[in-house]
Order: sequence, then C-alpha cells, then structure tokens
Amino acid sequence: MEFVSPEGLRLDGRRPLEMRQLRAEIGSISKADGSAVFEMGNTKVIAAVYGPREVENKSQQISDKALVRCEYTMANFSTGDRVRKPKGDRRSTEISMVIRQTMESCILLEKFPGSQIDIFVQVLQADGGTRSACINAATLALADAGIPMRDLVTSCSAGYLNSTPLLDLNYVEDSAGGPDVTVGLLSKMDKVTLLQMDSKLPIDIFENVMQLAIEGCKAVANYIREILLENTKQLEYRRGK
Amino acid sequence: MVPSMSAFENTSANTEVEVFRRLYPLEFYDRLLDKSVRLDARSLRHFRDSTVAFGAVSSANGSALVKIGSTTMLAAIKMEIMTPSVEAPDEGNVAIEFHMPPICSPVVWPGRPVEAAPVISKQLTDTILRHVNPSEFLLADSYFLSFRVKYFVKCSGMIDLKELCLVSGKAAWMAYLDICCLDADGGLFDAALLSAAAAFSHLQIPVVSLNEEGRVFIVSEEEAGKSKKEAVNKEKRKLNLRSIPLSLTCILHKNYIIPDPTAEEESIIETSVTVVMDSSDQLVSLYKPGGQILAFSKAIQECVELTRQRVKELLRILEAAVSDMEVD
Repeated sequence: MEFVSPEGLRLDGRRPLEMRQLRAEIGSISKADGSAVFEMGNTKVIAAVYGPREVENKSQQISDKALVRCEYTMANFSTGDRVRKPKGDRRSTEISMVIRQTMESCILLEKFPGSQIDIFVQVLQADGGTRSACINAATLALADAGIPMRDLVTSCSAGYLNSTPLLDLNYVEDSAGGPDVTVGLLSKMDKVTLLQMDSKLPIDIFENVMQLAIEGCKAVANYIREILLENTKQLEYRRGK
Repeated sequence: MVPSMSAFENTSANTEVEVFRRLYPLEFYDRLLDKSVRLDARSLRHFRDSTVAFGAVSSANGSALVKIGSTTMLAAIKMEIMTPSVEAPDEGNVAIEFHMPPICSPVVWPGRPVEAAPVISKQLTDTILRHVNPSEFLLADSYFLSFRVKYFVKCSGMIDLKELCLVSGKAAWMAYLDICCLDADGGLFDAALLSAAAAFSHLQIPVVSLNEEGRVFIVSEEEAGKSKKEAVNKEKRKLNLRSIPLSLTCILHKNYIIPDPTAEEESIIETSVTVVMDSSDQLVSLYKPGGQILAFSKAIQECVELTRQRVKELLRILEAAVSDMEVD
C-alpha cells in the first residue's frame, strides 16, 4: 500500500515532515488540582493531576520523596471498534508505566516527601500517537497544578514507510507494520528521557528518524510554552493586575 | 516591597472563614442559607447554567458533551449489528454504561470502584428503555408520606426498539451508549440523563447493505458511493424519539428544598430526591433513597413542580442545540 504518494503527500494530505494540528486547553476539570486536554490531529486525550496529597497505601509511602502514580485508560468509544476492556489489559498497563517513569524523571519529587502525586490520563479519541499525546497532556496538567518540574517533557513519534521518514504517525500509518519510534524529550535540557521503537530499522536510518522525532518534540514544547504563557496572562488579567 | 496591613488582615480573615468551612460545613451552610445564599453564591432556587454540544466524538455514530455548571458528561453511541433474540425478533437493543474514571473527582481512586457508577448505570437503563417488569412494582408504604406512592421502575419509552430492527429475525442494531463523567460536581444523574438524551438526538444510523452470504454489514463512508449492492436502508437516518425523560435532583435540609446541588452540597446534606419527568409533562419516576429528613407530600409536590420548570428549560436548550446542528 502506498503511504507516500509520488507527489510527496501522505494519506491525510500532510507532507512527510509535517506534524498534525496541535490543540491544547488547560483547566478543563474543575475538581482536579491540574488538568489539560491535548489534541494531536484526531487523537484527543484528557489528563488530570491530583496532588500532592496523602498516600493511599501507607506501605508504599517513600519518606524522602513523592510517590507518582499514573493510570492510562481508554474510553469505550475512543477507537473505531468499541473497546471492551478500557484498562487492566497489558497495553494500558505498559503505557501507564511508561508515562509514570517519564514524568518521574522531570518532577522535583524531593520537594514533597511522603506524599503522592496522581496523574490520570483518559483517551477520548484514538488516532495514533496516544502515548505521546498523553505525555504532553500530563506535562500541561502538572504545570496547571503548579507542581515544580525540571523541564517540560514533550513527546512525539516518527516512522519510516515507503523509504521516507514520516513525522507524527496516525493510526493507519502506525498499523502499517513499519517501525514506530516514540521519543520523550526534556526540551530545554535537550535530554531524551523516553525512547521506544518497534519493528526493524538499519542504524543510520534509525538516527534520522529519531532526530526527526526530537524535532517534533521541540515543536510541541514551543506550542506548550505558548499555551502556558497565554494561560498566565489570562490569570493575571482576571486578577486585575 | 512590604505588603499593606489591610492585605494581612484580609488574608487572616479569609483563612478563618476557610477553616470554619472545612471544620463545620453544616453550620457554615446554615448561616449562608439564612441569608438565602448557597455555597457557590447562587440564590436558593437557581439552576446552574447548562450547555449541550453535539458531535464531540467524531468516531462515534452519535455523541454529546453536556455541562451542568462544572459537572461534565461525555456521551457517545456506537452501533453494531447483532442477531435479535428469539422472543423479540423485531427489536434491537440498547446497552447503557456509566463510567466515572479517576480524572473526574478527587474521591475516585483507581482500584477503588465508586458505588455511584453502577447505580446510575442501572437508573439510566431503567429510565430510557421500554422495560416494564411487573415483579418490580413496589408499594412504598412508608411512614414518610401521607399517601401511597407507587415506585415505578418503568421507563418513558423514549426509544422504540422496533426502530432498531434491520431484517426481522436476522439482523438488528445494538446501540452501545457509553457515558463518561469528566468532572463530577453534583447532579450526576441529571447530567448523565441529559447527555444520553442529547446523544440519541444526534445519533445517525449508518447505512448497511447485504453481502454475498446474505449477511448485513455496515457500509463505510468511502464505499457508500461505489457500492453496487442494494442498500438495506438507503441513507443515514435519525431515531424518532418520542418523549424525552429529563430529571432534577433536589436536596432537603430542614425545611429548605434546594435544587441542583453541587458536589460540596451533596457531601454535606445526605437527603436527596430525584424526580424524572418527560417532555409530555408526565411523571416517570421518583427516587428518594432514605436520608435523615422525612418529606411530607407537600415537599414532594414542590420537587415535582421544580422539576417541571427545569425540564422545560432543558428541553429548550436541547431544541436550540438540535436546530443549530441542523442548520450546519
């Protein structure tokens, strides 16, 4: 099947190095300490952060830093066919762990010893790249909750189909069986905190694809910074300063 | 820069108020009620602003995002083809599920199931579907009320399941309605019922046709134009909804009847009454699950009257949203 036409257009009309449209909103859930909705094309996820709060299970409490808990769930209506088991299946458990470890690397846990920070992410619409959208939404939600972080963690995926590196795969491109490289980056510090790849790639092409994903992460980070700045301006305006 | 003294005084006064609110919520609420104000500065009989938006989930056959105040519900319907049961070969079916994921509230934790979720799922199913089961008629001969109230587990017949039939005895629609609570701030059943009604108003039944083996399958958007096969239903159609059930929850405190509570109010006051009425002004169901306050029939009648007002308002909002959608 042809994923890149001879004119250089992908199935949804994008160019190979073009990302999908990003859209983000902060503070959607009134009851949460921090929340955000993040859209990458048709993929839409909502993240809520509760914490720092008291640890639920005292046996898991850590005396010198905060405990981070993360849960990834998919709404029943999020995919083409109705999802029977929204959580507890292997994929959701794995993605929950990946998001938790990624966020743990950037939150300043030592500031809140003996407490718990909960990050819950719910996928409302899935069209490829849900992992990346969840990490981006979690970063925004943590910023909205005012939890101090080392840096903004952003994530983006890239693949390689029809001998072309492609940025930000959607569901059709992802399920084509080609390689899918997901990168999580601490944007200002330029450090990779998450790197996952499936399928096979020769090393030199892999380096190109990973570099492309890193560029995508930086673009997402710029967008997130704009959103946070806009949000702060709104808060200042409402405060009357 | 040294902050002014008045700023200091204000902060300590604010802190005192906050502490009183946390430690003695009931007394705090009483004091506000004496001045005819509620916790979120509403007047006593004021309903929160409600909005309905259609098509929130583009991959679903029908969807709606509903907000009552801060309470947010996302409802989406996915249609699948199934074989109808032997007892009812001309009827399809509807499965309703209500989810409260941990994002919606600080009291919902993963691994600790919320007791409200399956209760609301059952209540929604009973209210929306044609489901009169004689063995479930109960006579509430309680000492609360001065007259007998028949507690109906009947529905309003919003959907005629015969409309969901495709080929009698062979194929019918199964509509999966999933309601996801995104923000739980009181009045969950009211918001969930409104979102279910809105999602069914938005629902478009997909086009189907028969394949070679005589099985019915859904024709996707791209194939619709190219298909040479005879379509079983020619074009996407909408469901014909008869009477739409809508509800209002009121909390009872001393001799106050307070409609449309927030989560904070619901946590302080345990006695609540939920009244479901439909668009033809008929009472569908009444639900008062215990509580410290005993209600006389006059109080119940007042709740019904408040519900009538609320249902009119909600129907107007729904109709406005439907006509906006049709303009598009």
